[in-house]
Amino acid sequence: MPVPFIMPKFDMDQEKATIISWSKKEGDVVKADETILTVETEKVAIDVPCPESGTLAGILYKDGDVVPVTEVIAYILKQGETLADLPKAGLPTPPPKPEPFDDAQGRAVPVSQAVAAPQAAPVSATPVAVRMAKEEGVDLSKVPASGDKITKEDVERYVESQKPAGRVTVPATPAARRVARESGVALEAVAGSGPGGRVLSADVLATAKPVPASTVTNGNGRESEVVPLTSIRRTIAQRMQQSFQESPHIALTVEVDMTEAENARKRFNLQAEKLGQPKITVTALMIKVVAWALVRNPYINASFNGDSISLWKDVNIGVATAVSQGLVVPVLKGADHLGVSEINMRLIDLADRARENKLKLEDVQGGTFTISNLGMFGIRQFRAVINPPESAILAVGSVVRKPIVVDDQDRVEVRPMMSLTLSADHRVIDGVVAARFLSDLVTGIEAPNMLLF
Amino acid sequence: MPEISYLEAIRQALWQEMKRDERVFLLGEDIGRYGGAFGMTHGMLDEFGPERVRETPISEATIVAAAIGASLLGMRPVAELMFMDFVFLALDQIVNQAAKMHFMFGGRTNVPIVIRMPGGSGSGAAAQHSQSLESTLMHFPGLKVINPSTPYDAKGLMLAAIRDPNPVCFVEHKALYKTKGEVPEGDYTIPIGVAEIKRPGRDITVVANNIMVIKTLAVAERLAKDGIEVEVIDPRTMLPLDTETIINSVRRTGRLLVVHEACQTGGWAGEVIASVAGSPAFDYIDAPMRRLGGKDIPIPYNRGLEKIAIPQDFEIEQEIRAMVEGKR
Repeated sequence: MPVPFIMPKFDMDQEKATIISWSKKEGDVVKADETILTVETEKVAIDVPCPESGTLAGILYKDGDVVPVTEVIAYILKQGETLADLPKAGLPTPPPKPEPFDDAQGRAVPVSQAVAAPQAAPVSATPVAVRMAKEEGVDLSKVPASGDKITKEDVERYVESQKPAGRVTVPATPAARRVARESGVALEAVAGSGPGGRVLSADVLATAKPVPASTVTNGNGRESEVVPLTSIRRTIAQRMQQSFQESPHIALTVEVDMTEAENARKRFNLQAEKLGQPKITVTALMIKVVAWALVRNPYINASFNGDSISLWKDVNIGVATAVSQGLVVPVLKGADHLGVSEINMRLIDLADRARENKLKLEDVQGGTFTISNLGMFGIRQFRAVINPPESAILAVGSVVRKPIVVDDQDRVEVRPMMSLTLSADHRVIDGVVAARFLSDLVTGIEAPNMLLF
Repeated sequence: MPEISYLEAIRQALWQEMKRDERVFLLGEDIGRYGGAFGMTHGMLDEFGPERVRETPISEATIVAAAIGASLLGMRPVAELMFMDFVFLALDQIVNQAAKMHFMFGGRTNVPIVIRMPGGSGSGAAAQHSQSLESTLMHFPGLKVINPSTPYDAKGLMLAAIRDPNPVCFVEHKALYKTKGEVPEGDYTIPIGVAEIKRPGRDITVVANNIMVIKTLAVAERLAKDGIEVEVIDPRTMLPLDTETIINSVRRTGRLLVVHEACQTGGWAGEVIASVAGSPAFDYIDAPMRRLGGKDIPIPYNRGLEKIAIPQDFEIEQEIRAMVEGKR
């Protein structure tokens, strides 16, 4: 039987994915594990490997289609199979009916034939699991066993995994679901204000406000191009709105003298050149110092849970990166345990893959703090919006040479100065806590030797 | 309108109805010369004589059985069980006889009895004299179960109960006996099976019975100062339960809390919440429906523990505040 190829599920809460492009076409010979299509989830683009060797056939969705996870999207034909073996209308094959022991005329069917069930290998399962599989119409040979026998839990898990996606997993009250239904609002797009992010009817009503006429083409003589939201844009919109509405942002700014940091970077670069490594960027150096300061200020490296605060043991620093479709935040894991050179190389790799749309899910998950740098555009100072569930984000401005007073004698020197603005969630971080963090940051940048202390 | 106590209101109903209808008579333990354990029948022996205020042996089964027999012969007996906790001794008579006769005899007979039973904690009478068992009685079709919270409701519902052709369990709360309220001197009835909105509000519906109505109203008064408008519904009759009033209210408020003194597990709050969950109000529910019942323990004798075994004002307030969070 042709092997059905399903839209894989990459993330716990993922419901659907968009096919960006098929790299193989109908009739192509494919090998197990080679990439046959690229899909886009709400977070990243992912190459999907082929589950089996054979011939790609019966493609059911084309580029650009949005497909619920676990939906069959194509089939792999094995040797000797043809298109005629495909299930009709591309429907997923129903589980084969058990063969009757007696045929219509009451003649006994040979036992060998009757038990020629579609089970590939003998399966060891508990009696409860066997009964359950029968009731649910599940082929036991397809159920992965967690131990040496297939248990009831294994069958339950399998049945659950086979259920079509589409059930909304957003926590929402019945009233919110009704209002969403009536007003055509997608609950996923609503930021919930109830306990644990539960969507309340008022949240849906706030989202469902009518679109202002000016955004509609020819609304009142004004024309505009209406751009449908990409899933990445939708995610940015939803998360930024949620963050700005839910967490009270405070912003603190400091100016830091970059003289010593620039000197250190020059020394590092000499070393890097000897080793044939790429040049150390300002961002890489910043990450090193930020990681050091985060370890000293655990409340900056934290998440607000409504009734508690998680102080993360890991220091995973996200770096806001502009890509053609918008903004992604690849995460540098365990930054507090890495040297500047290692941070630099990983950063280059992440940025390259971000631009090529090749980030994996784990590359963008698990961040505990974010750095956003707009200095290269000459932006001197700005405020960033916190990237939930994190509690703070650092906005890095451009390095500007300007005269400043450098000592008690009011001596003025021209120094490379940079401004840092920390946006912090006041539910977790008080002004003093944020100030201490910035002060540590200034110490680390103005005297990088301190990192050895 | 004169202000009288809850106990006095019930006594007035019994007195007036005995004057009005000579078929009405009382029976129970110590209700004659002693005037009843709580003084409900004080002076009635002198007024109506031993024929109509009948002392019985200490046997709840006998009290109810005698009442049933008398009612079958055309009388309108009002029986007193000294404490609601003793109802178990009479349950066979109440459940298997009184509640079923009308149905089993093809509607050719009725059992118009009223069984009064003081329930609830707060009198330091310990685990065997403090229970709230209205949930238990709600499980038996053929019975009516009344549970008033105010003197006005108590008199009007008692008069309705005596005139009702069915067996009625009239559950009184001991801790309410001394509470006062305005009660008309004359004759009036309150329909059985009709809830009352004791306080209108737009933010949350709280359904409570007997003493919890009083506590919830006090909490609602406080919360109103913070802009939280609580709608307080008193079912007044537990069986048949007026779910329509509750469902309509939840449709408006989107939130439901049920408060009762009876132990939470198996309590009638579950019944109310299930009724609403399965009703058209479901699509209007904007927070998990919650219940606040008594602790699942026998009522302690210790005064302090007795108090905290049942929902306290501050607990009701906390529940409501948590439930309306995020609403505005």
